[in-house]
Amino acid sequence: MKNILLVVVFATCLLSGAMLFAAGEAKDKEVYDEDAYGPQAPIVWVTPVKSVVFEHKIHTMDAGLDCDSCHDELFEMESGAAEAKDDFTMASLYKGGYCGSCHDGSTAFASNTRCTACHIGVRGHARLQGETASAEKSR
Amino acid sequence: MKIDDLEQMESEDLHSLHSAERRKFLKLGLAVTGMYLGGSILSLTSVKNAYGSDVVPEIGKYPYNPHYSMVIREKLCIDCERCKDACVKTNHVPSYGFRTTILEKRRSLGENKFETTFMPVLCNHCNRPPCVRVCPTTATWKDEKTGIVTMNPARCIGCKTCMTACPYNARYFKEEDRAVDKCDFCFLARLSKGEKTTACAEACPADVRVFGNLADSSSRVFKLVHAPETMVWVLRPETGAIPNVFYINS
Repeated sequence: MKNILLVVVFATCLLSGAMLFAAGEAKDKEVYDEDAYGPQAPIVWVTPVKSVVFEHKIHTMDAGLDCDSCHDELFEMESGAAEAKDDFTMASLYKGGYCGSCHDGSTAFASNTRCTACHIGVRGHARLQGETASAEKSR
Repeated sequence: MKIDDLEQMESEDLHSLHSAERRKFLKLGLAVTGMYLGGSILSLTSVKNAYGSDVVPEIGKYPYNPHYSMVIREKLCIDCERCKDACVKTNHVPSYGFRTTILEKRRSLGENKFETTFMPVLCNHCNRPPCVRVCPTTATWKDEKTGIVTMNPARCIGCKTCMTACPYNARYFKEEDRAVDKCDFCFLARLSKGEKTTACAEACPADVRVFGNLADSSSRVFKLVHAPETMVWVLRPETGAIPNVFYINS
């Protein structure tokens, strides 16, 4: 009788452990679908100042925004379109343009706070490029 | 002295020594030890004239006029490096050296997230410059009027002792001049020609670098450094160099 009880306890532990492990695996393997979430590679703007990063993943997959939350009203889908405009500045953001549409302090953190969250600078850009270069190398 | 007289005298052995006397002697010894070590390594006596590590001099106690200094509003720096580019252009800085640069601190926020802080650095134009003290040919000195730590490349023999002495890594050896080169708050290139600010401060789009005369109570640097509820810090205050580049976050 004792033996049966031990076996049952052991089996339960094993089963729940396996289930937990499987759940963890599934979470890790949640695929990033570029068609649904936008390009995976971070976008880096270098004008008017070096260098500002934008990641689709953080905004779509993690924050749950749709494509049409930003496209095409705030940002054209064509890469480099915003950068080419003269009003792609912090002043525009403070008036609710571009990123400032959400980054106003109520929807998301205000544009005039946490500067380095987006402004990764020359150093951050170099690090990013180093990471992609090493990722491509290992492929 | 005869032996009879000696016997009449008060004994000087330990039996006649009061414990208060012994303590006094010990105290003296400890005080001397503490004093010789400057109280910086080991001090067994309390330092009586110690004061809080106030990096901002008291109003009216600035040794120079104009007392040039820079205030860096650190958290606004985004490492766009326009300051570096402007400095290179203005002062003909070669690619292997720098008069000013940006350092980076990364603090973990957990879960693979980081918060970055960029830290612009340059010559601190210290009130007690270690680089000046070590120069064997007086090729570098603190200007008596402005307090700017200046170089005379013609007098420099390239021994690089100043580079080792500088707590801020603010000097480099310029091959073209065969001399050490450093930030002079743009004195040669700009201030002496009537300009009011440095090239780096002018180029900064985020208003991080504020340059001015600290001895002038109406200047912006003065107001920033003496504003209430402001945390002001300097780099490596423990060296005792009394730097003139102040960092704030507001």
